[in-house]
Amino acid sequence: MAAVQGDATDEMLMVRYQRGERAAFAELVRRHSRPIYNFVLRQLRVPSVAEDVTQDVFMRLVQNAAEFKHEARFLTWLYTIARNLCIDQLRKSSHRRHASLDEPVGDNPDGQPLIESLSDPNPQTSAERGALSSQVRSSIVKAVDSLPDDQREVFLLREVANLPFRDIAEITGVGENTVKSRMRYALDRLKDALCDFEEYARALR
Amino acid sequence: MDCEKFDRIVLDLLYDELDELTSAAARRHMEHCTRCRGIGAGLRATREVGVLPLVLAPEGLERKILEAEQQATQLLPFGKRLGRGLSLLAGYAMRPQLSMAALLMLMIGSSLFFLRAQPGDREHVLVTERGVPESDNESATAVVPKKPSPAEAAPEPARATARSAPHFDDALARRDRAPEAKADRPMAAATEPAPAPMATAEARGGGLSAFGADDKQAEGNADVTSDSDASYDAAMAAYRDGRYSEAERRFGEIANQAGEHAANAALYEVQALRMVSGCPTAAPRFEDVHTRYPGAVGNSAAWQAADCYRSLGELARARQNYDELATDPNYKARASEALAELDQRAADQGSAARKGAAAGAAAPTKKAASAPAAAKPATPPSQ
Repeated sequence: MAAVQGDATDEMLMVRYQRGERAAFAELVRRHSRPIYNFVLRQLRVPSVAEDVTQDVFMRLVQNAAEFKHEARFLTWLYTIARNLCIDQLRKSSHRRHASLDEPVGDNPDGQPLIESLSDPNPQTSAERGALSSQVRSSIVKAVDSLPDDQREVFLLREVANLPFRDIAEITGVGENTVKSRMRYALDRLKDALCDFEEYARALR
Repeated sequence: MDCEKFDRIVLDLLYDELDELTSAAARRHMEHCTRCRGIGAGLRATREVGVLPLVLAPEGLERKILEAEQQATQLLPFGKRLGRGLSLLAGYAMRPQLSMAALLMLMIGSSLFFLRAQPGDREHVLVTERGVPESDNESATAVVPKKPSPAEAAPEPARATARSAPHFDDALARRDRAPEAKADRPMAAATEPAPAPMATAEARGGGLSAFGADDKQAEGNADVTSDSDASYDAAMAAYRDGRYSEAERRFGEIANQAGEHAANAALYEVQALRMVSGCPTAAPRFEDVHTRYPGAVGNSAAWQAADCYRSLGELARARQNYDELATDPNYKARASEALAELDQRAADQGSAARKGAAAGAAAPTKKAASAPAAAKPATPPSQ
């Protein structure tokens, strides 16, 4: 398996995978499996289902690799696949099951609560923008979870996938101004959930 | 920037999706607008604090995905595998290096094509202006690829005689000079003179003699150089220089010797005589040459005699010569043309004569009518 350069763009890796380089695909999985899993998990709220759907997302990528156009943006393509699979999954379950943050994760009744699984064990992630207390993190997750579907979708694509508004508009199939409007509402809801915390007051100063 | 516009771009500002100018304008607006500064600060603080913690993917997810990919690749349908192969080939084909190489090969190929088409690489073919013998160009080597048809090789007496005398003579002189420029050509054949038709025929590129058997025989003896040749050259030189009396004398001597140049010398002698004494003297002599030397030379003499007759107004004799020449295929067309001209001329003369006759008939009537009136005054004295 050929070595893959770390600074290669996603599009370059995808083209190389189209040519048969499996190492390029492995690099794409390494880069994007975690954000995709988080996006799917926040949408479906069931970790086991999110894992399966994440795997399906990459399998769909494998099956449709030949259709990827060189000029297309890989992340837009990948998250479009993920979003469509999430919608399919939600239709299958026919109702949105709002999992309690305190209920055990998955089918194991002895498992840890979802709120604990959502806490970031990787200190680097949070350290980038300040250390947060578990109470704040819990409030953030609750606030995001309580967002309407369309606002949460936009919020996740912006904050988790780090996609620009233009790409989000392309993925969701709505106008860019609509995307920004939804994002604004989501941030306002999040602000309301955070305004009582000391960290927020400190950030305002 | 106003607050309304700020509200529209505040999210772009928050996520650094604005260009520098707009971003600076928004920041300047925030400095002096309390409302917008508050909105901006609130959104920034929310984004800084409200970081959604990312959950670690389940252990083994990547491995599962890679294993599934391996299985999926092995089970990939033939069509998709073919598509992937084609995509791979297309990827190589679309590389810029390949395109540049193809372009380079195209340029080289087209250059070779154009280089091959350059005239320098072709066989030398010199083309002279129509009507000018190639011998005018000393370096010219005319290429005669095919034997001209009899019609092409035919002499053109009408055209030759239509020219003025100096032109006619120049053509003859050039015809005679031409062989001298060709070093590889035998002297005898080279110096053989030719009458006007011959010069015209060769000027047209035919390069073949129009004199038939006589000339062929003369060319057969071309390797023989003799005193007669020198005499003939001297006579021709005199003719070319305009010393027609001397040329007449020299050509006359050669004609009397009855050598190989006798026929042409006789013709040139009469032509020189015409230049000196004019057609009244030359016409009978042309007739004499015509009688003595049947063939191309004789016909040429007959043609020039007819021209002389025509210039002298002896149309009947001219017509007689033209009629005779019309039986010769080489002169048929021109003779017919000349005869038509004679007919036209005769018709014009007849018309003029009739008008004159009519005018003459009217004059006596007037005289008859005016005579009694004129006679009247004369009568009284008699009365």
